[in-house]
Amino acid sequence: MIDMESKYGIPTVAVHVHVFARLVDSTARTNGMPRARQAFVPAPMFNQPPAVLRGYIEGDDAVHGGPFMRRVFDLLTEPIPGEDLRGSGWERSTPRLIEPDTEDNLERLFRENHWTDYLPIVLPTEERVEAMLAGTSRGPDEVVGKHRPTIGMELWESTVEKAAVNAVMAGAAPEHFPVILALCASGDTGRQSSMSSMGNMVVVNGPIRSEIGMNSGIGALGPYNHANSAIGRAFGLASQNLQGGSVPGISYGGSQGCNLSYNCCTFAENEERSPFRPFHVHRGYEPEESTVTVFYVWGSVWSEHLRSYWQEKLQAMMSGLEPLEGALLVLDPIVAREFCDRGLDSQEKIAEWVFENVRIPARRYWDHIMLNMVHEQVEAGVEPWASLSKADPDELIPLFQTFGVNVVVTGGETNGHFSIFQGAQMPPAFRSDPTLPLTAPIDPWR
Amino acid sequence: MAVATKQKLTVLNPEGYPPKVDARGMAPALETLQGKRLFLVDIGFENSGPFMAQLHGWLEEHEPDIRTEVVRWRDQHNPDPELCARIAAEGDAAIVGVGT
Repeated sequence: MIDMESKYGIPTVAVHVHVFARLVDSTARTNGMPRARQAFVPAPMFNQPPAVLRGYIEGDDAVHGGPFMRRVFDLLTEPIPGEDLRGSGWERSTPRLIEPDTEDNLERLFRENHWTDYLPIVLPTEERVEAMLAGTSRGPDEVVGKHRPTIGMELWESTVEKAAVNAVMAGAAPEHFPVILALCASGDTGRQSSMSSMGNMVVVNGPIRSEIGMNSGIGALGPYNHANSAIGRAFGLASQNLQGGSVPGISYGGSQGCNLSYNCCTFAENEERSPFRPFHVHRGYEPEESTVTVFYVWGSVWSEHLRSYWQEKLQAMMSGLEPLEGALLVLDPIVAREFCDRGLDSQEKIAEWVFENVRIPARRYWDHIMLNMVHEQVEAGVEPWASLSKADPDELIPLFQTFGVNVVVTGGETNGHFSIFQGAQMPPAFRSDPTLPLTAPIDPWR
Repeated sequence: MAVATKQKLTVLNPEGYPPKVDARGMAPALETLQGKRLFLVDIGFENSGPFMAQLHGWLEEHEPDIRTEVVRWRDQHNPDPELCARIAAEGDAAIVGVGT
């Protein structure tokens, strides 16, 4: 919309739902057009019948008041001041140091600036940051990557020192820092601003797991290990601060939010007890390389053991998930071996089983998420979406393609626990750098 | 809980580096919409198509002198240069939505 005005000279009113008024205002300012033409209808927009939509049009602007259509006409016909015809640009930066103050006042300042997760932080003094920097061979001024809350928002940049500041705040140790740097360089964010309230799951593979004492055994997904807890928290804090914020209504839009965001559900794969290839080897790395993989997850269902009715159970557990957003199976080693006993002795075979056996009616498949996210590919003839779009409404079609199913093994074998998360990796276009690998190497950051 | 010290500390700012904001000028306003061609751009989020259809119906009913056409943005997350060029060539103004 900004391009339509500034590049093509088309007076354009952008219509938004009212809950994003502050986000829209912020985006307009940072795009150099602070008074862009905006009009607002009430939320919700999704899943509303035509009569409700007509009511929005015939009602009042949900932010500014007065008839909605009157505002649209006024925005297109009222003269624009010269300063807005020119736009408004400026240089920005952030200072390296903060004005010295007491511990209490600094803690409060960090909270008020939305730089924390509202739990106590370790204040990043110069001495602590310097100690963190000893955890990498990289220089403090080296650029780590670019960051943004979601597609379409501006890209901020980070350095090794800025990542170290956030690692200190999270309570991480210098030996954790290469993993944190790899996460910051991954093109992913631990504070994704989706309305859908997604969180993260971070999986670490390779020798660094044992070198820094990560947990892949009993309680791997819980708060029982320094490295698991601090690395995940550091990824979250670094994401929100390096990308320019994660503030509800401005740079975060998830309706409910996600509790997994506190430490991005960070754990190590139990490669030693898994019957499968380690996840990073599955992704093309050597076993002696260390990697980190970021998934975006929404929630999970769980069960224990693959019992006599395991196929029926898996179908039931998975068929309520949303298409497109993927499935992430997190298996205790006991359950991984039970899959092997049933002939599914690799991640690929489990994904193929899901593709063949978990199916839903096309009418349900093509509602909501798929309707929102895939129509461009359908119209462009991209497979498999183009063919699937031709299915009869009651035809049963695969809920997930094989590439949408991932399998990770972790846990301490106290029982045959497994969880199926609605979750996937972010499509390249949504990542801050679409050329980066989906599983990121850690070793270059040592 | 440890008692916080009254000593003043120097700490580092945790924020990344924002990009420069480039000035982007708005398009001049129209003197009137009567007799003009208004494009209604469906950006592709759920229900933005039906919303634009309702808007199209409302304008035909209440403002018949404004010519309207509903078009669809090819990619809901990125500008559609071909469509923008067409609107610039054939239209006078646009309503884009619905941003969620």
